[in-house]
Amino acid sequence: MAKKIIEMSNIIKRYYIGMPNELQILNGISIEIHEGEFVAIVGASGSGKSTLMNIIGALDKPTEGSYFLNGTDINKLSDKELSAIRNKEIGFVFQTFNLIPRTTALKNVELPMLYAGVSRRERTRKAVKLLEMVDMQDRSTHKPNELSGGQKQRVAIARAMANDPSIILADEPTGALDSKTGRLVMDIFHKLHKQEGKTIVLITHSPELAEETERIITISDGSVISDVAKPENSAVNLAKKREGVDGQ
Amino acid sequence: MFENLRMAFSSIAANKLRSLLTMLGIIIGISAVITITTLGTTLRATIKNTLNSLGSNLMVVYIQQKNADNYYDTVEIETTDNDLMNMAMIDEFLEKYPDEFSMANENPIGSATIVNSRNKTVKMNIIGGYEGTLAFNSYKLLFGRNLSSSDIKLKKHTCVVSDIFVEQYFKEKEEPVGYNLKITLDNGIVQDFTIVGVYKYNSLSNGMGDRAKMSTPVYIPDTVANNLKGIYGEQYFFNVYFAYNVKYDANLLKAHLTEFFNQKYDANKNFGVEVVSMEDQLKQIDMVINIVTLVITVIAAISLIVGGVGVMNIMLVSVTERTREIGIRKALGAKKRSIKRQFVTEAIIICLIGGVIGIVIGILNGELAGVIADHFVASSPEYADILGDITVVPSIGAIVVSIIFSTLTGVFFGYYPASKAAKMNPIDALRYD
Repeated sequence: MAKKIIEMSNIIKRYYIGMPNELQILNGISIEIHEGEFVAIVGASGSGKSTLMNIIGALDKPTEGSYFLNGTDINKLSDKELSAIRNKEIGFVFQTFNLIPRTTALKNVELPMLYAGVSRRERTRKAVKLLEMVDMQDRSTHKPNELSGGQKQRVAIARAMANDPSIILADEPTGALDSKTGRLVMDIFHKLHKQEGKTIVLITHSPELAEETERIITISDGSVISDVAKPENSAVNLAKKREGVDGQ
Repeated sequence: MFENLRMAFSSIAANKLRSLLTMLGIIIGISAVITITTLGTTLRATIKNTLNSLGSNLMVVYIQQKNADNYYDTVEIETTDNDLMNMAMIDEFLEKYPDEFSMANENPIGSATIVNSRNKTVKMNIIGGYEGTLAFNSYKLLFGRNLSSSDIKLKKHTCVVSDIFVEQYFKEKEEPVGYNLKITLDNGIVQDFTIVGVYKYNSLSNGMGDRAKMSTPVYIPDTVANNLKGIYGEQYFFNVYFAYNVKYDANLLKAHLTEFFNQKYDANKNFGVEVVSMEDQLKQIDMVINIVTLVITVIAAISLIVGGVGVMNIMLVSVTERTREIGIRKALGAKKRSIKRQFVTEAIIICLIGGVIGIVIGILNGELAGVIADHFVASSPEYADILGDITVVPSIGAIVVSIIFSTLTGVFFGYYPASKAAKMNPIDALRYD
């Protein structure tokens, strides 16, 4: 069995604690995600999947329950340590791209490495390589307002990969794209999954996108209502399938 | 750090007009300080130059009514000859301190002329003087000797002329010392004077006039000068100028001078003496300039505070506008410290740019004032002789202090907005539109 990257047990998240309008968003969620998995977390809006994503992404701490990310107990970390965890362990990809404005694609990709204290030379070297990986090397000196949506998202994916994170956490990554560019972005995720063996958590409300992954976790009203593995999509099986096709 | 600077500049460049308006308070404050300090240091340098050319090794003894501290309550008393200083007093003093002091009073008689062998009229200014008069003007003796005390006592018709006069009057290789001049005074009277010495004429405006047409001073014994004016008998002085030998300590000499003349006036009910040295004058001018500088600095400090509040305001706006960017940075792993540093850097850069613009404007203002003053001096020759060329000197100290203060303003007023940015919750910040 592969290493556990995410180990959540009985996660509860409440807001406005102790007030009359106290609100419980997550009702005891337990999830385990292993290294190299491509998982979709599916749920309608209001199901609590954004809150779950914030907790997985170490942007927020659970009210109750334990969360180990790559063996680290997130509940015990200080604000500063949480920053370091987000920096090194998690690669965020957002629906709205969230590139830093007025800053070139290259500098955007370098940013997580800047916060990690990587030397300037090494940052640039790695950022150039990552932009090549998402086929954006020609646009490295362009600023976000000079890029199309699909191009922005490819830069964002390159940025997510900057510090070799344990997981890529993608929140509706194709939500703001047309179907063609959306496809292109999904292909990059598949490539990262298969070729680099990246652990990817895809948060989406789209069943079609979820179908492409190895495992679908469905959230409703703050609880996991189903957790279905799709072995036919696993990296290993897909590789086998391709070999078979190639053999004919 | 480099990245912070780059980000700060790109953010300022993105809002050029806004940044410039924000800097305005800082620019006004700093340029005011630099203008005033530049004018102050220039004024000080010019005055110092002028005083030096007059002879900084100079002390003046003058008669002053006793108990006249309060100008408005004092009934003015007329001086009589007995209240003034006389030659006997001065001689006694000079006998006591022969090496330390020489009398340096000047007594202008008026202009005079003489016709040279080429039939050209040479103009000159006749001035009654003493042994110290050349030193008082910082003139150096080239040949012969200075006016002596015996010239003065015996009312000898001797004179000391300038090198320029020699060029104008004599042919080449002619020996001026010992030559007898027949000088026509402006009232038509002709007088004989024997040249005993030649001094080097230098004025701050050297080179400005035509050497062939210049009118330079000719020094004759003051006793003779008085006779020419129609004054005979005992001489009385309201002011006595002394050139002192710089070998000695000026403060000690001043004490000697004060003590000697105070003794002479102990018995006088109404009058005493006051001694002032050029150095004292310079100190007083310095004090006035310092007070003016201080007042302007206080005003500038207020402007800097107002400017700083403007910077703080705009930084708060900037932080709010860039909430989402801050959220992204935090999600990507920026620590509070990094965010804080980024915004403080931006505030410092705004203030520093404002400061540098202010310094440049201040220096330009100073230069402009210099040009105007030069123009004024050039159009009035009587000032040109005293003031000479005015060189504008920006105060390096003020520039350094300005840069330090604009940096501190940036740190002080940038800190609160920056820590507000640093404290943002990444989830809320990311959701901000």
